[in-house]
Amino acid sequence: MSVRNLLKGSAGPTDNDSRFLLDVHSRQLPGESTMSRYDESVEVDLVVVGAGAGGSVLAQRLARRGWRVVIIEAGPFWHPDDDWVSDEAGSHGLYWTQNRIIGGSDPIELGKNNSGRGVGGSMVHYAGYTPRFHPSDFATFSRDGVGADWPISYDDLLPHYEQVERELPVAGQNWPWGHPHSYPFSPHPVSEAAGKVWRGARARGIEMRVGPVGIVNGTFGNRPHCIYRGYCLQGCKVNAKASPYVTHLPDALAHAVEIRSGCMASRVELDERGRATGVVYLEEAGGPEHLQRAAFVAIAGYSIETPRLLLSSTSRRFPDGLGNDHDQVGRYVMVQGATQTAGRWPEELRMYKSPPPEISSEDFYETDLSRGFARGFSIQTVSPLPIGWAEHVLADGHWGAALREYMRDYNHWATVGVLNELLAQPENRVTLASQTDQYGLPVARMDYTLCDNDKANIAYSTTVTTDILKAAGAQDVLTIKRFAHLIGGARMGSSPASSVVDANQRLWGVPNLFLADGSVCPTQGSANPALTIMALASRLAARMADGSAMSDDPEARAGRPPRQVANAQE
Amino acid sequence: MLDRDKGEHLPNLRPDRRPPHPSWLPRQRRGTTPQMIGRYPDFDVLDAVDTWDPATKKVVLARLEPAGPLRFFGPEEEPALRALCDVTTAQDREPRVPVAELVDAKLADGELDGFQYADMPDDRDTWHLVLAGLDHSARDRYARSFARCTVEEQQDVVRDLSQGALSGGTWDSLNVRRAWSVCMRAILAGFYSHPWAWNEIGFGGPAYPRGYMRTGPTSVLEPFETPGATAEDAAQAVADNPEVFG
Ligand SMILES: Cc1cc2nc3c(=O)[nH]c(=O)nc-3n(C[C@H](O)[C@H](O)[C@H](O)COP(=O)(O)OP(=O)(O)OC[C@H]3O[C@@H](n4cnc5c(N)ncnc54)[C@H](O)[C@@H]3O)c2cc1C
Ligand code: SF4
Repeated sequence: MSVRNLLKGSAGPTDNDSRFLLDVHSRQLPGESTMSRYDESVEVDLVVVGAGAGGSVLAQRLARRGWRVVIIEAGPFWHPDDDWVSDEAGSHGLYWTQNRIIGGSDPIELGKNNSGRGVGGSMVHYAGYTPRFHPSDFATFSRDGVGADWPISYDDLLPHYEQVERELPVAGQNWPWGHPHSYPFSPHPVSEAAGKVWRGARARGIEMRVGPVGIVNGTFGNRPHCIYRGYCLQGCKVNAKASPYVTHLPDALAHAVEIRSGCMASRVELDERGRATGVVYLEEAGGPEHLQRAAFVAIAGYSIETPRLLLSSTSRRFPDGLGNDHDQVGRYVMVQGATQTAGRWPEELRMYKSPPPEISSEDFYETDLSRGFARGFSIQTVSPLPIGWAEHVLADGHWGAALREYMRDYNHWATVGVLNELLAQPENRVTLASQTDQYGLPVARMDYTLCDNDKANIAYSTTVTTDILKAAGAQDVLTIKRFAHLIGGARMGSSPASSVVDANQRLWGVPNLFLADGSVCPTQGSANPALTIMALASRLAARMADGSAMSDDPEARAGRPPRQVANAQE
Repeated sequence: MLDRDKGEHLPNLRPDRRPPHPSWLPRQRRGTTPQMIGRYPDFDVLDAVDTWDPATKKVVLARLEPAGPLRFFGPEEEPALRALCDVTTAQDREPRVPVAELVDAKLADGELDGFQYADMPDDRDTWHLVLAGLDHSARDRYARSFARCTVEEQQDVVRDLSQGALSGGTWDSLNVRRAWSVCMRAILAGFYSHPWAWNEIGFGGPAYPRGYMRTGPTSVLEPFETPGATAEDAAQAVADNPEVFG
């Protein structure tokens, strides 16, 4: 028995007391009323834009090292007992519903499907899957001739993956794919609906495993066990599901971080020497501009808002937007194909019980050229609630009486989804639109067009999931083609000509500005991104704390040639 | 009687790919469903209200309050709006989920979805244009407004709307297929946010702080356990149960 198995469930994370700071009887992030407040004219050590996955981890880590940190967050400071509801339509306020323009040949529908707005960021209503990327994801260009190589490798993130997995904490079976590893918490029980998918996969020789999910399964400080109520995408009112709101921000507030919520960052201010002096923000539409001064600035607004903020921050030095000398800002934004296929059985399954994320497979993650395309996809169960199920039925072409008939059949269905790795392309990009938001700031426009490899991947994966359902005896099958997860848009790389930040996530051309969110990822693999975004922020924090992230040594900035950690399959 | 277990009621499995007339369904005995039909005649999700948290209770029960009046749509648009909501959700008589009012409230409150297609106007403008377009197409085909058409005529127009196959009038300033998805997003979110619709489909509803304890019987074997011996032919059992032995 390995030491990690021996310690399953008992070894808590170090250097993070969030789980003990929460109150057993309330869902409130503790410390709002006693939070440190910094005078905006005083230069703090770090100002972070965005209290989401990346921004919160960075703030928590550096606050522990004594940095004075202010987080500027556009959305509200949640009071979950009052603000969050166990209801689909009533959760509208959780999402980033400010306007965005979508274009290209395959426009990506945003809103509730892609990003959040408020303290805790998008993870407040993410599903909860927390897989790691595979080692191969960091070098898809040299391995498969597609996508891009990262300036860092899996090795660089490994200790941070392990630390964040203990902090969330992640529950799941031992993981055989990518770099094989185990999880700190045991797998959750599996519902009848996921059981159908499980058996179908086994009949087809496809390995599925339970998890990995950032959902408490057992005792974890003051965070309760999951109650299997299935509303993870509406915000967990139980505090069982991980999000920075419960995993990092309690500890951050206890270490003197200030979260300035309801404040929309409008640009980054530069001084004569080209250093960032702070972040300009608006507290209300039409109100005065505020400037929070800081020695270092980190932007963590996610893949659409981070490029938008950079593009909006124009100056004499950067007329086309901050760090945009080479027209790289906003490019190579990515989503994942997320087609969902549902199967029907005679008996009731009631898929709405249990968290939507239950079991997954990475058997198809790596390139197998016999399939006719590069890279691959993962398979994961999901379980739409009634409005989500209605959208699924509609997408298969049913409305009126036919839709009502399928809806009445809801309890007989189980759903399995895929995540296809879609390739980074320069024309898939975020730009500024002519429309403005309530603050008068230009909104983002996101263009997306699938390439042939993307289309072949999506088509192939749908045949696999349909086959799994049929193998499990599904009588009828309904499919919805959709997309999920954002990444990229300000990617890290080895040279300013092909990237926005260096191997330390520091902006080319501005010495004290870092990006700390999902926008820096050059590829996305077929894994859900949140764990990797947190691990990247954790690594960045360690390097900012010891000063290595500020290195001007060209080799350090370019990163090292990827040292390959072998994938399990090799 | 249709065989529910075989799925004989499912449009995709029927020779004409059309749904059966809802008269095969039992009448609701407990609680309310839209049109008093459903598959769970003795289920009323509202019986569980005392297991919901106060914030959720407030949001959900507000949907049962008397709906309207319309704030976003004008009186001249109301007939087409109601006809569209009825025909897309097959609500042909009372009791109805007040879909028109739920859509109206969302648009009046500016609750938009956070994206706008580059070739489309703001969702609010799209709604005005769609309702005008429905009347245009109905007049064009049947010489009367959309609301005055028979249900079959309305269905014909809506079928073309769903396939992006309408043109002329305001349709020419819209991507028609996308306009359909804009409208249906709001209509379905309204209909399936209503507890009566949950009764119809047997959905358990809000589940906090109660949660669920019976999530399914599959989790009997741990990954390291194997099934016990039985009287049947072992070789046959292995062949029959590849998912257990494979
Ligand atoms: C429905 C759904 C399901 C998902 N499921 C999964 C899953 O199962 N597993 C997984 O790994 N991932 C999942 N994701 C994705 C995951 O939540 C995100 O990838 C992750 O949270 C992104 O982290 P981030 O730090 O880059 O940005 P976020 O967490 O989105 O944080 C960005 C924050 O910045 C704020 N902000 C933006 N611009 C400004 C500005 N100008 N001024 C001030 N504040 C600003 C925003 O309000 C937001 O709070 C899901 C997402 C959604 C929407
Ligand atoms: S299913 Fe579990 S993790 Fe998801 S919202 Fe409910 S209690 Fe939270």
